[in-house]
Amino acid sequence: MSPYSYKEPVLTLEGVSMSYHGEVILRDIDAQVLDVVRPGMSQGQVVGFYGRSGIGKSVLCRIMAGLITPSQGTVRVGVEQQPVVPGTVGFVQQRYPLFDHRTLHDNLLVAAQRKHAPAAAREQVETYLERFCLTQHRKKYPAHLSGGQRQRAAIAQQLLCSDHLILLDEPFSGLDVAMIDELKKIIVEVTTMDELNTVIIISHDIQTTTALADRLWLLGYERDAAGQLSPGATIAKEHQYNLAEMGLAWHENVEAEPEFGQFVEHIKEEIRRS
Amino acid sequence: MKTLFTPNAQPPRATFLLMVAGQGLVLLLLWLFYPLRLFPSLGEVFRSLGDLVTTQGLIQELWASMTTALQALSVATMLALLISYLTALPFFRPIAYAASKMRYLTLTGLTFFMALMLSSGHQVKLSVLIFGATVYLVTGMTSVILTTTQEEMDHARTLGMSEWRSFLEVVVLGKLDEMLEVVRQNFAIIWTMITLVETLYQSEGGIGLLLYKQNRYLHLDGVLAIQLVILATGALQDYVFVLLRRVFFPYSVLTAAK
Repeated sequence: MSPYSYKEPVLTLEGVSMSYHGEVILRDIDAQVLDVVRPGMSQGQVVGFYGRSGIGKSVLCRIMAGLITPSQGTVRVGVEQQPVVPGTVGFVQQRYPLFDHRTLHDNLLVAAQRKHAPAAAREQVETYLERFCLTQHRKKYPAHLSGGQRQRAAIAQQLLCSDHLILLDEPFSGLDVAMIDELKKIIVEVTTMDELNTVIIISHDIQTTTALADRLWLLGYERDAAGQLSPGATIAKEHQYNLAEMGLAWHENVEAEPEFGQFVEHIKEEIRRS
Repeated sequence: MKTLFTPNAQPPRATFLLMVAGQGLVLLLLWLFYPLRLFPSLGEVFRSLGDLVTTQGLIQELWASMTTALQALSVATMLALLISYLTALPFFRPIAYAASKMRYLTLTGLTFFMALMLSSGHQVKLSVLIFGATVYLVTGMTSVILTTTQEEMDHARTLGMSEWRSFLEVVVLGKLDEMLEVVRQNFAIIWTMITLVETLYQSEGGIGLLLYKQNRYLHLDGVLAIQLVILATGALQDYVFVLLRRVFFPYSVLTAAK
């Protein structure tokens, strides 16, 4: 196991609950993402939130992105642990939205201009176009981009204006094996760009998310003393997994390891039980 | 040939053009040889057209109507855009709702009130056209705005844009091409009203007035000739709008279903 240590928190969810019209969707969610430091390496972190379809993952996404305020609890982000507001957390939605009326270059520029002066913003855009292999497509409109190019563009756009945190909502949904591999590479690329870069994957794809993440949280329903399901999805203490501690993080081909397979089976069993 | 009758098929361009030419020819033959003489003959219509151009100033009248129509459309578009964009603020939503419903109002009584409020005939003519076009434009434009999705707005917000900036980026800039399409579709309403308003104030002339006179004296060949001129002008306008859309919003044709 490669040595590592934890430093300051970069994302904290404290007692987050959400109700709509009296129906509890999320209940008392506590989770904290810490900056993980590995000697001799500048690498951010990948964390995953699992949950079955319809459990409230997208609601949790929007809360973490600051797009909606939870009924109770707080979300704090960054090393200063400021309350989240829209724009501080990059949020790549399921269908990779871009501004269809702007070229790829302008899509990135409009994002970069939020944090940089015009000249510096253009420079940043060039860097990101290069880094995400999009330079030759700079003049294309989003409708002309392939699925993979669109993904990369949407992630680059959010990275250009967010403060190190980037949320991916169901990023593997509907992708073929080749595209999943490409996306995995992009995620690793993002984490190596800055020590504080943190990719939060919200997904129901257990296998792929586990292979990338170094921490995992499993969203599920708890049962009360009488065995009845309590309303609202939450993250039970036993459903918080530190994959680095378990020796399942940062391996090149972790999916081929038997321990990985056993862990995935365990997660599946937990999901079935909840 | 089979593709012409297959749902959602994409026939080759040559086949499609041939089909259009064939349909046009059938229509022409029907006109020429239909035993019941409902319409004046093609020759009569052409003769009347020549007469209208040389003796009654059809081109000048068309130009007069065209400038009035464009003037009305410009003002109506600005007004409709303003009313539609203001729906971002809940305070103004009832105004857009009311404006949209006013398309059910008949203009006949309305012109009287406008004549009381305005001093010149030209202003009344213009304001009737503006009113008629605005209510239709507001209906189309607000429905375009209503197609804005949560995902689109969230996308802008996650880039740190304020609510107004998100609105500008997603609704104003993002849907400008669709607004132009709404204007194109509703330009026709001005031409349908032009006869009514030009007969109200006859001093300025116009093709609508010419049509009214031809109809009044039962010059059916003249009526048909003017109708065909209006139809051709409308088709040309449509083409210009499509061209404008392609030039200024090249992305809009990329997402259109084929």
